[in-house]
Amino acid sequence: MGECNRRITRRQFLKTAAAGVALGLAGRTPFLEAKEDYDLVAISGEPAAATRKTLEVMGGISRFVKKGQRVVLKPNMSFSRTPDFSATTHPLVVVTVAQACIEAGAQQVLILDHTLQRAEPCLERTGIRDACKSISGVYVLALQERKFFREVKVPQGKVLERVEVMKEILDSQVLINIPVAKSHSATGVSLGMKGLMGMIWDRESFHSQYNINQAIADLGTVIKPQLTILDATRALVSGGPGGPGEVKKPNLIIAGIDPVAVDSYGVSIVPWYGQNFKGRQVEHLLVAHQQGLGKIDIDQLKILKEKV
Amino acid sequence: MRTLIQALSLLLFSIFFVFATYKLPNWLPADIYLRLDPLLGMNAVFAARVIISRALWSLALIGTTLVIGRFFCAYVCPMGASIDFLDFLFFWKKKRPGLKSDANLRKVKFFLLIIFISAAVVGLSLAFVMDPISLLTRFYTFFVYPLAITLINLFLDLLRPLSQALGWIILSHLHYFQSVYYMTAITLLIFGGIVFLNRLVPRFWCRYLCPLGAFLSLISPLGLFKRRVHEDCNECLKCQKACPMGAVAENPMETRLRECIQCRTCAKVCPQNAITFPMSLSYSLGGEYSSINFSRRGFLYSLAGGLAVGFLGTQTPFTLRQSKHQLIRPPGAIPETEFLRTCIRCGECMKSCLTNTLQPCLWESGFSGLWTPRMDPRLAPCDQNCNVCGKVCPTQAIRSLSLEEKTHAKVGTAVLRKEMCLVWAQNKICLICDEICPYNAIVFRPVEGYRRPVVVASKCNGCGYCEQRCPVKGESAIVVGPNGEIRLKEGSFVEQAKKLQLDFKPDPGDDKFILEEEGFKVEDKKEERKNILPHEKLQPKKPKGFL
Repeated sequence: MGECNRRITRRQFLKTAAAGVALGLAGRTPFLEAKEDYDLVAISGEPAAATRKTLEVMGGISRFVKKGQRVVLKPNMSFSRTPDFSATTHPLVVVTVAQACIEAGAQQVLILDHTLQRAEPCLERTGIRDACKSISGVYVLALQERKFFREVKVPQGKVLERVEVMKEILDSQVLINIPVAKSHSATGVSLGMKGLMGMIWDRESFHSQYNINQAIADLGTVIKPQLTILDATRALVSGGPGGPGEVKKPNLIIAGIDPVAVDSYGVSIVPWYGQNFKGRQVEHLLVAHQQGLGKIDIDQLKILKEKV
Repeated sequence: MRTLIQALSLLLFSIFFVFATYKLPNWLPADIYLRLDPLLGMNAVFAARVIISRALWSLALIGTTLVIGRFFCAYVCPMGASIDFLDFLFFWKKKRPGLKSDANLRKVKFFLLIIFISAAVVGLSLAFVMDPISLLTRFYTFFVYPLAITLINLFLDLLRPLSQALGWIILSHLHYFQSVYYMTAITLLIFGGIVFLNRLVPRFWCRYLCPLGAFLSLISPLGLFKRRVHEDCNECLKCQKACPMGAVAENPMETRLRECIQCRTCAKVCPQNAITFPMSLSYSLGGEYSSINFSRRGFLYSLAGGLAVGFLGTQTPFTLRQSKHQLIRPPGAIPETEFLRTCIRCGECMKSCLTNTLQPCLWESGFSGLWTPRMDPRLAPCDQNCNVCGKVCPTQAIRSLSLEEKTHAKVGTAVLRKEMCLVWAQNKICLICDEICPYNAIVFRPVEGYRRPVVVASKCNGCGYCEQRCPVKGESAIVVGPNGEIRLKEGSFVEQAKKLQLDFKPDPGDDKFILEEEGFKVEDKKEERKNILPHEKLQPKKPKGFL
């Protein structure tokens, strides 16, 4: 699955970084200089403002989205819940990213999820479709038919040999994962890595057939978002993933290229089910880390924290 | 002109039918055709012995029929329009055998009417079997609608390469949810039979069988418009042959007023232009041709038949055993006895159902429950954001409730079958029921050192998400039974639920409760179980997924 190996290569990264630095020097924007030094960005603030700031300090969405590219955003809109339940990504976060992608010249932005409940109420209640309807080139779709998925092999999979992934994700150039921070009754938390399960056809087997933690890590070897933006403006710290449960308000947007690092930081920001955990204590994150999908110890990460 | 009005009426019927779906606006009476039907109204009102406000709409049809005559059959009835249209399609210019003496056949519809009404008086809702509006709505729901979705999706699939190539994003991802129903074939057979009868004579159904037509014809001779033949008539009998209802008597000057539906076909074919339909205030019941040749014997027989059928139909232990059956009624359904009496089996609720969980009964609730809606949670759950089934119910056998009320109209309670549950029986990590439950009614409690799912009955309103999602093959390991259902004829479900101390509101408390649970010993059993239980590590004090 070479086409899916979308993580930016070191060369690309350096080039972009160099360009960014040059730009930064020219434009004297202090953030641009800094961006390559940080593994993670954590911005505190209101959903839209914090998201905008996040993209800005990361060097702009143009770092990830080039002109004419097809972009897929994967928020969590799997449940027909309003945003206050915190079971789904905040619509303002999604629309801010979508808008930025369009401004960066994306040919089209598809906002996709394989919803757990019927598509119509999910699209409606989460508010994501409504928020995005005025931006041309942005489409919010819930894919619930097998014909929209295509099977791929999982060469590095330990339990997962093949998996059916959304065709649009396989065929697009950019994938940005925009999960919401929530607890999960099977995997502890449901952040970016667990959110990958919303891009495949058969997730029941993850629960019944495989060790779900290993299967998620396996999935992470084939679906590699270029960017993960964790919506922790609210966090459903119990009763997840569907809610209802206790909703906390960390007011944070956490973003990074490393999906495990983003999640690991996400684990640390609030107590889950009334207890404090580290990323290492979340089994599927640990397995993903051990499989080489990303860094898990946040003490060793450089994190840019800001407030807007 | 008539064909146009007819086609428009059928179109209107179809449009209302299409609108009967999730997010139906409150002001839109999608079930209007059913409400206007006096036979269905009488049936429900007599059987349930209560005035149903929506059934009062049918007074409008009774009133206009009294004034104008039996125009409904020719101009408004969507069943008549369907029959006419299909007749044209299949039997146009076909020579029909005709029926020599049909005077007796004509009476059949009146006998049927008597049977249905008297059955209703005894308490059996039966008119649905032959009421044209109910029949057609059912046919639409179980056959036309699924077929239309299939064809549309097929078309979209064929179009997909093109729409993808052209970059039409929405079209290339468009797919409509395919509803499926248990009784599609039976419904098609019945409707097909009705259409096929046209092979014998045009509008066979309307002439001889339709009980609604019978009712309207009883009151129609009082109407203002009546067929009149001038002296120019040369007795060519063309009108007699052309009349789709056989309403022109042997003497073409005379009209069987009860049969005439004022379609004016006779006037159109008359070479002498001798036939008109003037407005006349003359009050006449039309003399010999319009009296119903009802033998006293026939009347008594059908009356007795109806009463007998009504008695037999209601003589079933089913109603008494209702709560002992695995039969889940839609949320807001009134108590079972009244429900069976009030439901007119039109199928609107099943059509409108967002998730397709509502399915028709065949024999699950006996003869008196034919085609009544039941939930099939293994197929699909009841969505907590949808309350459309009550909105479209023309007799309010399913009450129209606000979302808040509907949430509290508990339809049953989920029961966990431990011997089948992956967690209880095999110690696997499976929490799908908990994950999907919209009311947090499933919690995990440490049992024998493992976190096991348990249903909190007071939080479960029976929506069935757990049953549908359970990954166990075949029968679900968690099933909704009617235990604890709330069926109210009137009054607030919210208050009733409060009285019963039920709570379908978000409450994260239970998850905390697990974490704080102390005094639980797992250490002694840990060693011996280690080998046989490889799926989960023993950590009852940590939530699942954490190490």
